[in-house]
Amino acid sequence: MKYDDPQLRDKLAAEYVLGTLRGQARARFQSLMRYDGALRSVVKDWESRLAPLARAGTDIAPPERVWQALSERLAGEPRRPRWWESLALWRGLAATGAAFALVLAIVTGVSPEAEPPMAMIAVMNDTQGRPAMTVSWPSMQAVRDRPFLRIRVIQEHPVMAPGTEWELWMLPSGEGSPVSLGLITTDVDQVMELKPELAARIDGARGIAMTVEPKGGSPTGKPTGPMVMKGPCVKL
Amino acid sequence: MSEPARDAQAARLAELLSQSALRNQRAFSELYAVTAPKLFGVALRILRRQDWAEEVLQECYISIWNHAGEYVAARSAPLTWMTSIVRNRCLDWLRRPQQEATGDEYEIALDAWRDESPGPVERLAAAGDAAALARCLGMLEGRQRQSIMLAFFHGLSHSEIASHMKEPLGTVKTWVRRGLERLKGCLQQAESS
Repeated sequence: MKYDDPQLRDKLAAEYVLGTLRGQARARFQSLMRYDGALRSVVKDWESRLAPLARAGTDIAPPERVWQALSERLAGEPRRPRWWESLALWRGLAATGAAFALVLAIVTGVSPEAEPPMAMIAVMNDTQGRPAMTVSWPSMQAVRDRPFLRIRVIQEHPVMAPGTEWELWMLPSGEGSPVSLGLITTDVDQVMELKPELAARIDGARGIAMTVEPKGGSPTGKPTGPMVMKGPCVKL
Repeated sequence: MSEPARDAQAARLAELLSQSALRNQRAFSELYAVTAPKLFGVALRILRRQDWAEEVLQECYISIWNHAGEYVAARSAPLTWMTSIVRNRCLDWLRRPQQEATGDEYEIALDAWRDESPGPVERLAAAGDAAALARCLGMLEGRQRQSIMLAFFHGLSHSEIASHMKEPLGTVKTWVRRGLERLKGCLQQAESS
C-alpha cells in the first residue's frame, strides 16, 4: 500500500481516530505515525474534529477504588518501580541463554505419560540468577477441557517456610500488574490447573514470577511478599 | 457550557496538567476529580465492561501523570488530548484477540444504544459545544451517521456494525468512509465561513 497518497493518509487517519482501523492495520498505522510527524498532525486534526462527540455521552463517575489504586501507585514518588514494572528484569533473557538451553533439554527431553507437547516455557531464575524452576504449558487449544501448567523444580531452592505459600504470577503484556495464577502447594514438580479465563491470556504473558505470600495467598490480589523467582516467557 | 466557561475550564485543565508534570499530586487529584467521570464514560461505552473500563482508566491516568509534560507539545485542547489517550488505550485493549468475544453485555449495550440514539448529537447541539459538528452530523445520511456513531461512540468494528445493522460489510465500510468525507467537508466549510 502506498502511504504517501494524501487521500489515503487522510482516510486511514480518520478511520484510526474513528476506531474502525483494527488489528494489524491499526498496529501498522501506529508504527507509521511514530516516524511521521505530518501523519500525526493529520490524526490530531481528526481527533479535534471528533473529540467533542466522545465527550457528549453521559458522565459516569468511576468507583472510589480506581482513585485509591491510583493514589497508592503515586504515593511516595519518586518511588522505586515495583519489580514487575522494571524492564531490566526482562532484559536478562539473552544472558541466560546457555542455562536456558540446558534447562530446555531437561524439560523437553522428559516425556512422561501421553501429554501434549509444551508450547511455551518460562525458566524462572532465583534471586541469584540461577535457573530454579520452570513453568511450561501446552497449546491451550489442545487442552481446552482442562487447561494446566506444568511446574518443574530444577535445582535447589529455598524451602517453603511454614505458614507461607508460593504464589505464581503472570505478568500480562503491556503495563498491566501481575495476575495470580494460583498457589503452589508443595515445592516439588506439580501440575497446576488453570482457570479458563487465565488460559485465554497466558500466551500473551511477558513473564512468570513467584512470590512468598501468607497462607491462602496474597490478601490484596497483588503480590505482597518478596519475589523469589522470575523468568520471561518463551515460545518452544 | 457557554464558550467563556469552556475556555476557562480548558485553561484550568492545562494548568493542572502542567502542575502534574511537576509532580504536584494535589493538582493531579483535582485533574482526576474533574475529568474522570467524563473519561470513564468514554471507556465504559467502548469496552462495555466495568472491570475492563476501571483497569484501562487507571492505566490511562498513570500514563497522563507520566506524560503530562508532553501535553504542551500536543497543541490540542487538554480534554481532547486526554480523551484520545483513553480512546486509544480502549481500542488497543479490544485489539487483543481474546477480548473480542462479547456476549450478553454487548447486546445490552446495543439495546441501550437504541434508546439514546439521538442523544449524543442532540446533547452536542444543546450544549452549544461543537455546534458545527452536531450540525454536520445532522446533515449526513441517516445510515452514514448511525455507522459513524456506532463506531466512534460505542467502539464497534466494521463487522460488528454490519451485523448490528444487518447490512453487508462492504456497504458499511462505504457508509463510514463517505460519512467521514462529508463530515470533513462540512466542518471545513463551517470553519471558513
